Formats: sequence, structure tokens, C-alpha cells
Amino acid sequence: MSIAALLNRPGAGVALLLIFYLLVAVLFSVLSPWFLSFDNMVSIGANMAFIGLMCALQTPLIIAGGLDLSVAAVAGLAGVVVALLHASGVGIVAACLIALALGGGIGLLNGLLVVRLGLNSLIATLGTMSVIGGLALVLTGGLTKPLMEPGFNWIGSGQLLRLPVPLVLMLLVYIALGWVLARTRFGRFVYAAGSNAEASRLVGVPVARTLMILYVLSGLSGAVSGLILAAMLYAAAPDAAGQHLLTVIAAVILGGTSLFGGRGTVWGTLLAVLLLGTLNNGLTLMDVSSFWQDVTRGAVLLLAVGLDQVRTRAAGA
Amino acid sequence: MGHTAPLLQMAGICKSFGSAQVLREVDLRLDAGEVLALLGANGAGKSTLVKILCGVYSRDAGTVRLDDQAVRYDRPEEAIAHGVRFLPQEVSILPDLTVAENILIADLPLKRSWLGKQVDRPALRAKARALLDRLGCDLDPDALVHQLSAPHKRLVEIARALAGQARVIVMDEPTASLADREVQALFAVVERLKAQQIGIIYISHYLDEVFEIADRITVLRDGLNAGDFATATASRREVLDAMLGTTVDELYPPRGASIGEVALEVENLSLPSALDSVSFALHRGEILGVFGLLGSGIDQLGRAIYGALGPLPGARIALEGTPYIPADPRQGRDAGIGFVAAERQREGIVPDLGVRANITLPFIDRFVRLFSVSKPREVSHAQSWIDRLEIRAAHLDQPLRLLSGGNQQKACLARWLVEGLKVLILEEPTRGVDVGARHELYLALRQWTQQGLAVLLISSDAEEVAGICDRSIVLDRGRVSSHFSGGAAPADLLHTPTAKDHP
Repeated sequence: MSIAALLNRPGAGVALLLIFYLLVAVLFSVLSPWFLSFDNMVSIGANMAFIGLMCALQTPLIIAGGLDLSVAAVAGLAGVVVALLHASGVGIVAACLIALALGGGIGLLNGLLVVRLGLNSLIATLGTMSVIGGLALVLTGGLTKPLMEPGFNWIGSGQLLRLPVPLVLMLLVYIALGWVLARTRFGRFVYAAGSNAEASRLVGVPVARTLMILYVLSGLSGAVSGLILAAMLYAAAPDAAGQHLLTVIAAVILGGTSLFGGRGTVWGTLLAVLLLGTLNNGLTLMDVSSFWQDVTRGAVLLLAVGLDQVRTRAAGA
Repeated sequence: MGHTAPLLQMAGICKSFGSAQVLREVDLRLDAGEVLALLGANGAGKSTLVKILCGVYSRDAGTVRLDDQAVRYDRPEEAIAHGVRFLPQEVSILPDLTVAENILIADLPLKRSWLGKQVDRPALRAKARALLDRLGCDLDPDALVHQLSAPHKRLVEIARALAGQARVIVMDEPTASLADREVQALFAVVERLKAQQIGIIYISHYLDEVFEIADRITVLRDGLNAGDFATATASRREVLDAMLGTTVDELYPPRGASIGEVALEVENLSLPSALDSVSFALHRGEILGVFGLLGSGIDQLGRAIYGALGPLPGARIALEGTPYIPADPRQGRDAGIGFVAAERQREGIVPDLGVRANITLPFIDRFVRLFSVSKPREVSHAQSWIDRLEIRAAHLDQPLRLLSGGNQQKACLARWLVEGLKVLILEEPTRGVDVGARHELYLALRQWTQQGLAVLLISSDAEEVAGICDRSIVLDRGRVSSHFSGGAAPADLLHTPTAKDHP
């Protein structure tokens, strides 16, 4: 098989990412003996889990032609809401349910703005992102709120089958989503809507409903991430999650999902999430300043997207 | 010989992509002041040949001579510098600039002023005026191009080619989006270009047009020269045979005889500024043609009935005798109506989905078992249509965007060919589809109607409506202007009383 044909195969982009991931892993394991240990591997996964969850649902949304920039801000607000409600005497389960409903509600609002009102998704969710981030600051006065409740903290730092709960949760979500996208009718609608919305509508694909569902799920994933982060940190900070928005978008794109919709898989996203986590972890182990980690993340993103462009051109000739 | 050398002589042109040899020692000759039609089925190699001529691809072997001088270039700019211009199917103009700016964009006349160099507006206008005059066109050089009609935009593009001292102009399907009257205006311009000793290579799928405008025809088939004809002496049959290789019987299959009861009855269908109380009946086993020019309402009629335009107040529509109120495409689909839109790229194909997923998309519910789509069922359904319609794809899951136009169209049709479909509405079903695939599509349409399907075929191609339809109606400014039962001649459709006094 020629190189062009090989590069043109459906999984080629993800395969290249996997090769890159292995190279990075080999490099770090040579540089740091601690890197390759089971505990370190698991902790990479656990630390990335709350970001990975947001990425998981952002992926089908972007494939379907949408975008949700407010998801990380929703995470911040959800943590704050639980902490404040708990502090004022509301039961922890009720507080969590309210936070989840809030996340879903914000997703619904995003969906209405984009699907029903026809606003550009970038602008609409940029707007809600700012409103929500601001509200979280207003509610807390900018302060971090402690949140100690053994049952609750378990979802952030507990163990299930000797694995951290957030990691297990994230993997379950990816497996479920992978199945939904590849095997179900809804998954087919996601790809069809993102590839050509008008043609899909004309053969009866419920494009608007599909996008609404994905926006709601994206909002929900933000709320779940916020709860996990608050449970991990034993506290809710209004600005703890918002800074990770760029990582979320970067991971989805790095994982091979097209910003123009129609193409992508959650497996590529998962690999990209682990790659970004591994880079951060490896650089930390090597005692590189955390300021450099933003630089590497950006450089890796540009490198990957650039390589993918070269690959597509080579395959398309 | 005593002949002067031809304007353009391509000889022994070879080109391969990977292991696929696309052109094998192809020759092409073009004289000054001549229109040469380049014909061939999709994949015959005509676009590769033209791209080599225009510097998009470099050739593997062979020579290109312009005015008896060997030339070698691999970039479009160099081809333009040699006077070879390509006019793509889609007009490429700069919408926010004026006509004059568009024409002279590559060489704007400048004057010095205290601010440095500036565009010399009077000179720009005068130059553009002179070029437009050469085309016999009275467009205002100061008009903004986005305000122009499609044919006028085409003229601006031709004038731009003249500004670049073009000697060879390649036109790719220049009439694809033009109505008949506009085609005649374009042909008048082509005649003027001929008189100015410019050579024109004309690519089109419409044989009628080719015989009207071209002096000679060069046919390619499977990357080889398959024939050269003078239009004055050649017959359509000879040319079709050369294109398709085998001796095809007529392009259009014989009409069916088994017309059944009414499948779809439309009464008083009106849409603001598009349709005016349109009424007709469509029977089982019948292909009913709707012919009209651009702006006659043919671009709204089909989708209105299907439900893509929302509720239609005042209209009465019955599907096999029961009232049917279209509200959205899902309702049309669930009621048993299929719809294939005219704009295949924009409204037809789902480019990133594979052939299989495209074919099963409208009725995906039928393939679902226990919440998941059953791949074996999908594969066997899709494969059976791929075989029956001879859809040429590398494999079942090849993204549809990678297929040729004709094969994409077949996939769009195959979507609707399921148990229980009552009415199939087709808009411009063979626009941009090569002759071989057209013949296969027409044969398939005949087969399904013989099994009881009712087809509403909406088209601005009079030859097609006359050739394939059992009965036809003509739309003119939103109204049904005439009915034809049995075979109508293309000329009849075009020259119904009201169409004639169309302004």
C-alpha cells in the first residue's frame, strides 16, 4: 500500500496521534524513572478527568456543527452553587441535583440562542460564558468556598476498583459516547447534521433537535465536571475551571475533530486529553516551570493541526 | 500542407496519478477563431487535459505548442501569461468591486499623485468600456458586481480574460446555471470572440448546445482520443457512441404504458411571488414533467409539496386520495414522498458520510435493532442499490464527497428507493451528470415507475422533460401555462404561447 493510501485511511489521524503519544511517553520515561509507574499513569488520568468529561461532550457537539465556549464557566458556577447551597443547609444530594439542573438549563439556553434564534454559536456561548463566569464571582465575592462532605468528596478523590472515581466516570462516559456515535441512529444524525445541515434536514434528519440535545448535554457535562473538581479540591473557587476552556477546545481539535463539523471521534479526543495530561505531568516531573506548560500545549496543538493538514493534502493528491 | 499552424496544438499528452493513467497520448488541436467542444463522460480525462493546458497540473509526456512555439509551464499564472484562460463552472468574481475593477484587477491603470500611485479612474473606466464593447455588452463599468445577474457576471469574467490578452479561452459548463434566453446571449458573445480570432474550448454536457455553438468536437474516452467531428456533418448518434463506447440506443428509454390511479393531486398551490394557484394530478406509474425557465417557480414547486417550505395555506393536496398537509420534510418523508434537491452540493449530499450511510439516511429507522443501527442490514440494502444503479465507489464507506457528480446523484436517488414510497419529486435530476450516468438514471426511473412509483420531474432542461416524461406541464411566472400529454418536442415546451412573450 502506498503512503498516500495509508494516510487516507479513516483512522490515520488518530493513529498518528497515538504514535506521537507513545514517543512522548518514551521520552519522559527515559528522563524520569517515576513517570512510567502505575500510580503516576493513574494520576494523570484522574487529574485530567474533569477536563476530559467536558471534552467528551464537546466532541459530538462540534461534530454536529455546534460549539460551546461556556462549558468551563458552567463548571465553575456549578461548584460554587453546590458549596453555597451546602453552606446554607441544603442537603448535599439536593444541592448537586440543583447544580446539574442549572448546567442543563444553561445548555438549553445556549441551544435556544443558537438553534432557535440563529445566533452564531461562537458569539452566543461567548456571551453566556461571560455572564456565567461573572455570576460565579458575584455569588462568592471572588472567594473560594470550602466544601467538606465525605460522601461528596468521594466522587473527586475516592477509589472504585482501585482506580480514582473521576477516571472511572470519564472512561464510562467515553465508552458510552463512542458506542452512541458509532452505532446508534442519534450518532448518525450527529455526523449528518455537521456535514451538511440543509441536506440532512431535507431528508428528514431532526437537525435542530439533535443540536439542542447536544447543547443540553454539554451544559450537563460542565456541571458534572464542576462537581468533580470541587470534590477533588474540597472547595469551590469561582475561577477554578474557566481557565481550562482552551484545553477543552484544544483537545477536541487535537483529537482530529473538524471545527467545520462532520468529522471526528471521541477516541481521538480521549487520546488528546491523555496526551495533554501526560505533557503537563512529564514537564512537572522534570521540574519545568508551569508557565512553560501553556507554551508546550499551544505548540503541540499547532504541530498536530499542521501535520494533519499536510497529511490531508498528501492523501488527497 | 500550406495551412498556417494551429493556434494551439497539444500532442501525445500523458498523465498519471499514482498508478492510474488518466491520459494516454491525447492530441488536441484548436485554430484561431474556432469553437472546439471537448466532450467525454465523467472520468474520461477532459478536466485533466484542460488542467494541464491551464497550468494546474504538469504533464508526464507530450508537447504543447501555442502559435507553433513549444511552451512549458506548471503554474496557472504562467498559462495566463501565455494567453490561456480558464473560466470555471462557478463564476469567480470579486463581488464588492465594480465591473471595471473586476475586469482590470490584474493590471489596474495607475497615475502618480502627491499621495504616491493611485488608480487612474477615468482610464480604468475607459479601458473597461472598450473591453465590454468588444463583447457587445452595455454594462455600466461603475456598477457593483454583486448587483449583477449571473449571466452578466459571466460577461465580466470573459472581459477580464480579454484584458489579460487571452488567445485561448476554456469554458467549463458555462451555461449550467443559465436559462435558455441567457444561453443565447452568451452564444452571441462567443460568436464575437470567434470573430476576434480567439480560440475557445467549450466543455458541456448539453449536446444541443454543442451542436449549436461548436465548429468541431473532440471526444475523449477512458483517457484516449475517441473521435474528432465537424458539427456540420456529424450526427448526435455518432458523437454519443464515441463518448459512451458502446452503441447506446437512445438516451431515453421507451415510455411506460401502465398508468394507474391518481397518486398525488395538487390544487391551488400558491406561494407569495413564486407560485400562483398551481393545480395538477400525478398518477401511479407515470413520470410527470414540470418544465420552466429560471424564476418560473420550478425551484419552489417540488420542495413546497414535499414540505420543506412549511405549511401552505389555501392549497389542497391529496396523497392517494387522503388529504396531506405538508409542514416539514419529515412529514413528507413519512407520508411516502421522496425529494431530491437541485443543488446537489448544498442540499443533496452529506459529504463526510459514506455511501452506505448516505443511502440509508432518510429511512435509518428501518435499520435500527435494539437501539443500534444494524450494520449487516444497512450493508445489504446499500450494496444492492450500489449494484443496481452501478454507483462507482472504492468501497461502501467511501465519503460521498470523493465520488463524481453522477455517482453522488445516484446515491441521492437511492436514498428514496424503499418499500412504501409513493411519490418521488426530482429537481434537475441530471444537472452536471455525464451522459453515461444520465442514461442509467433514466432507465432506473422507468423501471421504478413500472412498479407503480409516481415521479414528478422538475427541470429547466427542455430536452430532458420532452425525452423522459409521459406528460408534462409548463410553468411560467408561477402559473401552469400549458399541458402536454404524450411526448412533447423540446421546442413545444419552449414555445408555448405565454413563454414566447416572456419579456
